[in-house]
Order: sequence, then structure tokens, then C-alpha cells
Amino acid sequence: MNAFVVWLESTTLSRGIVHYRWIWPLCEIIHFIGLTLVVGIAGFFDLRLMGFMKRVPVSAARDLMPLAIGGFLLNMTTGALFFIGTPHQYVGNAAWWAKVFFLVLAGLNAMFFETTVGARTMNLGAGDDTPMSAKIVGTVSLVSWLGVLYWGRMLPYLGNAF
Amino acid sequence: MTGFAAWLEGSAIAVWTRESPSIWAYPTILTLHTAGLGVLVGANAVVDFTLLGFAPRLPVLSLAPLYRFMWGGFAINAVTGVMLFAGDATTKARQPVFYIKLMLIALALVVTAVIRRTVERGPALRAAGPGALPVRRLAALSLLLWAGAVTAGRLMAYL
Repeated sequence: MNAFVVWLESTTLSRGIVHYRWIWPLCEIIHFIGLTLVVGIAGFFDLRLMGFMKRVPVSAARDLMPLAIGGFLLNMTTGALFFIGTPHQYVGNAAWWAKVFFLVLAGLNAMFFETTVGARTMNLGAGDDTPMSAKIVGTVSLVSWLGVLYWGRMLPYLGNAF
Repeated sequence: MTGFAAWLEGSAIAVWTRESPSIWAYPTILTLHTAGLGVLVGANAVVDFTLLGFAPRLPVLSLAPLYRFMWGGFAINAVTGVMLFAGDATTKARQPVFYIKLMLIALALVVTAVIRRTVERGPALRAAGPGALPVRRLAALSLLLWAGAVTAGRLMAYL
């Protein structure tokens, strides 16, 4: 792990991210805007899966999901740039590993939804309740994304970054 | 302003926010501020992108419960925002970007309130009134203003 960190920090990209002082704040702004898309759009869909806002047709709510995926891609890209810039801040940081854990959990949960429960929820219209399986998937998703946000924000405090 | 900022910075709540070593002080307040912005700006994004036509089958009226989430997020961020400002008032009161942030939030709230009225009245009245902005333009404006507020907030750590 240490050799990897040393190698990564020697790359031109890593040095550039640290050298140009405007890159970090710019990436943070993008990271926060991406966060609002993930929390807002995915959170909205999760709440509907959990059985809230029943007047919303499930498949219609899902039409917004590409925006959540867009926000996620913005954050994977800017997050990767943070990591490449200062990998030593993250690899030994318990808060960062907790964040990665919740990211993986959110990802596996989404894959589970897509391959199993998802198809059965798509014909649910306004007023329809969701099955228990969908409620569980929605809850796991919402908790995971809030976990990602919590541990990300806590990187400097529960971990030792910055 | 300087006198007020100095008084605020010396208040008990400001000292606690700034100096308490507890994880429940500054780190938790900051995290709640981030979660609150996620809920407030995120719920706004759901309405705005729907009005912009990203989910044509989604009835705008069914989104009315989201305004409760926006209020919740706003309330959390108003409280935590005051605490974060108080903790570092003399510095933050001198930051132009702080006033830009407040202005963007004020404008965004006005636009959000106008959009809410048109959303809750239903599609028939959406473009009502002479000279009323089409709701699509308001939705785009709302996205820009909220994104601007987030940007200004983030820049407060740097400028």
C-alpha cells in the first residue's frame, strides 16, 4: 500500500492536482453539487420505494435517475482526483474506508434492485404501495448514501485527513 | 457590524461551536449543514428537473410533499449556519463571498416560493398572469441560484 501511495504521489497528475491551487476548490464545488443530485434524486426514488409519496408513479420517478447517476459520476471523478492528489490522507484513514464501505453497499444494493426487485416495482402507479422487498432496498439505499455523506464530511474529524 | 460580529464570536454558543473538542460540536454541525444542503437543494432539483421535462410522466402535483423536505433542510441549515457563522463571525463578516451566498439564498428562496405556487395550482395556471415567467425558466433559474449558493458556501473556506 505504501509503495502504491509513493508511486501515485510521484505521478504528474498527482503533483498537478496539488500544485495548481484552484483545482481542489473547483473539484470540491463539483463534488458538493454532485452530492445534491445523488441525495436529492436517488433519495426521492428511495423514499418512494419505502412507501412514501404514494401519489408518485414509481416508473415515472425513475425517469429522473440518470441525473442521480450523472451526479454520482461527477463525484467519482472529483473523488478520484482528491485521492490521486493526496492518497496518503485516505489509505490510512478509517473514515475513508467507512465511506468506501457505504459506497460499495449502495452499489451492491442498486445491483440487487436492478436484477431482482426493480422489475416488479415498475408497474406501480400513483397510490400503489410498494412490496416489503422494495421498502428494504429503498431504506438500505438511503442509509448508504447518508453514510457516504457522513463519513465523507467526517474525513478530517473522525479520520485524520487535512 | 464589527462590534456585533465580535460580540457574537464571544457568545457561549459560538465558543462551544468553535472550541469544544466534542465530535458533537463543530464536526457534527458542519455535517448537518452538508446533509441539510443535500436535502434542500436536492429536493429542489427534483422539482426543477421535472419542470424542465426530464421526467414527462411524473405529475408535478405529486411532488408537493417535497416542500416539507425543503423546509426541513432549510431549517437545519439556518440553525447550523448561524452557529457556524457565530463561531468565526469576525472573519466571515469580512468575506464578500459570504454576502454573495446570503443574497443567492434569498433569491433562490423567492424563486422556489414562486415555483411552489405554480406547482400547487397545477399545470393550467402555470403560465398565468401577464409577464409571468414561464415555469421552465424559473426552474432553470432555481437550479442556477441554488448551485451558486452551494458554490459560494464552498468558496468561503478559500476566499
